[in-house]
Amino acid sequence: MDPESLELLEDALRKTMLSTSGAELDAALAELGWADMLSDMSELAIPLVFRLLGETGSHASVLNDVVLLTAVREAGLTPALPYAGGGWVVWDYADASENSTLGGLPLRRVDEGGHLRLPDARRAVGWWLVGASRAMLALARQHALDRVQFGRPIAGFQAVRHRLAETLVAIEGAEATLSLPGDDNPDLTALLAKAAAGKAALTAAKHCQQVLGGIGFTAEHDLHHHVERVLVLDGLLGSSKELTQKAGAGLRARGSVPRLVDL
Amino acid sequence: MNVAEFRSNLRAWLDENDLTPPPGDHSLDAHHAQHSRVLRALYDAGWMRWGWPESAGGLGGPMILRAIVGEEVVGRGLDEPGPYSMLEVLTPTMIDYASPELAAEMVPRLLSGSETWCQGFSEPGSGSDLASLTTRAEQRGDSWVVNGQKVWTSFAQYATRCVLLTRTGGPDTPNHAAITAFFVDIDTPGVTVRPLRTMHGVDEFCEVYFDDVVVPADRMLGNPGDGWQLAMDLLPYERSTCFWQRIAYLYSRFDALVGEVRQLGQAADSHLGDAYLALHTLRCRSRATQHRLADGQKLGPDTSIDKVLLASAEQQLYDTARDLMPGVIELDDTAWRTEFLYSRAATIYGGTAEVQRNIIARRLLDLGKE
Repeated sequence: MDPESLELLEDALRKTMLSTSGAELDAALAELGWADMLSDMSELAIPLVFRLLGETGSHASVLNDVVLLTAVREAGLTPALPYAGGGWVVWDYADASENSTLGGLPLRRVDEGGHLRLPDARRAVGWWLVGASRAMLALARQHALDRVQFGRPIAGFQAVRHRLAETLVAIEGAEATLSLPGDDNPDLTALLAKAAAGKAALTAAKHCQQVLGGIGFTAEHDLHHHVERVLVLDGLLGSSKELTQKAGAGLRARGSVPRLVDL
Repeated sequence: MNVAEFRSNLRAWLDENDLTPPPGDHSLDAHHAQHSRVLRALYDAGWMRWGWPESAGGLGGPMILRAIVGEEVVGRGLDEPGPYSMLEVLTPTMIDYASPELAAEMVPRLLSGSETWCQGFSEPGSGSDLASLTTRAEQRGDSWVVNGQKVWTSFAQYATRCVLLTRTGGPDTPNHAAITAFFVDIDTPGVTVRPLRTMHGVDEFCEVYFDDVVVPADRMLGNPGDGWQLAMDLLPYERSTCFWQRIAYLYSRFDALVGEVRQLGQAADSHLGDAYLALHTLRCRSRATQHRLADGQKLGPDTSIDKVLLASAEQQLYDTARDLMPGVIELDDTAWRTEFLYSRAATIYGGTAEVQRNIIARRLLDLGKE
């Protein structure tokens, strides 16, 4: 796909995601050709769609489609997704009124699930986390420039600047792990990328919330949507802490450190 | 040249030509002798010349070839990564700022290990605020006369030349137009080198004193006032190929650590995983940087992100070593101690962690002035 068409697609997706969310967004994405994108150009479509979900704060059940890409199971069945702590959840729009998940994702606990191969899905949630992190950074940056205390914008204070710089470092680092071609070991590459993205998002949430001060704690400001979203997404398909520990166990079993990619 | 083919040819050559350091002697002198030996062999076989322009004695080809050579050299434990940063930084500086004749004459001496050069930038009163440096150069006929003091000058005790920043502008010249660079012979009368003792016991950093040192005008790099730009141009080089090499070194040490602590069982997993995640993130970021450079893009303030990731990952690796091998660093005299202590400097040298964050805030996040 040429850069111009890609930009048009991105604009269309963003516009759609800003105006709708949930089941309606699923329908709108289907109309925009999500199924074809996923089957014909998943390397491009997954980063694009999931990053935009994060940036816009919307949600859709497209993660199920990504999971089903590599899972052998009956079509139309909603897969149970692993959640932190050894639990399982499913995407369920039906009982939306009784949903207890933080931040409005229609996830419902279920008792069990099958074993799934998750490299694409982990990468997808990783991009979702990175998109949400960028949204938080944008909000905090703008606030730092606008908010005047002690007679000047708080963006002029080094303590504030360094928190935002630290956030950018974390996000850029996570993006680099997500962009790595995972040919040698797709599972480990995706596991580390999800761990890096989850960690970066938690770093972003912490620093951006602090920079936004009191206003960022209110439900009147947009920040809380993203903070809540990344807390949930970090746990989905394994938390950063769990995945990191798993990677460490792998090193111990192997006795050496996989480089995963050459120049 | 195909990168994968280059790598496998290099590996085959290194398998046949054993450059393993002689056992026993871990002194800085021994390291330096080994460094010169490795460079000589790699240069004579052509490996050290790839990725550098033919006008300066190189064999051409993309810069990424240099990163591959650097990675193999430290990955096999043939040499330490430290001295390569000097080479990676000063060679492009000479190519960009010295006269073509001077560059063509001098660069092969550096790449072949027949000479070592040093970088006279920091001063006792000018660390993070490099532009405030006070070492003066005054024109006297066809020469310039230098007076002042430099510090943190790595490997000056082995160096035959120094790329030196001096102040040539008057009090009314703005700092960034008042600085001029010279290529100075260390054996010029009036130059005194004194190694500093460091806490990790490797005395690579020196103080260099300049006392009425006469430098010929044709040893000026660029024009009067170009020195600040030279220093700014040089920084991204410090963070490209030689970062990749340093990362390769850290991975080789991480391999060693994993080997040492396997018997700890699950208790080690989180520690190892955290260190791995930090190193992997750094490696992915640096890989992208190497490819951007290979595509002909100019590196800029974005390399401050690479620098922050490297310094944090390096310290985390050695913190992990200390956590998982209790007592080894404090009670036993091993390489882990030296390296742990050296890693404490990672957030200080080459621009402190704070300066990097200032650059990220100002230049990448566009937060305006402090």
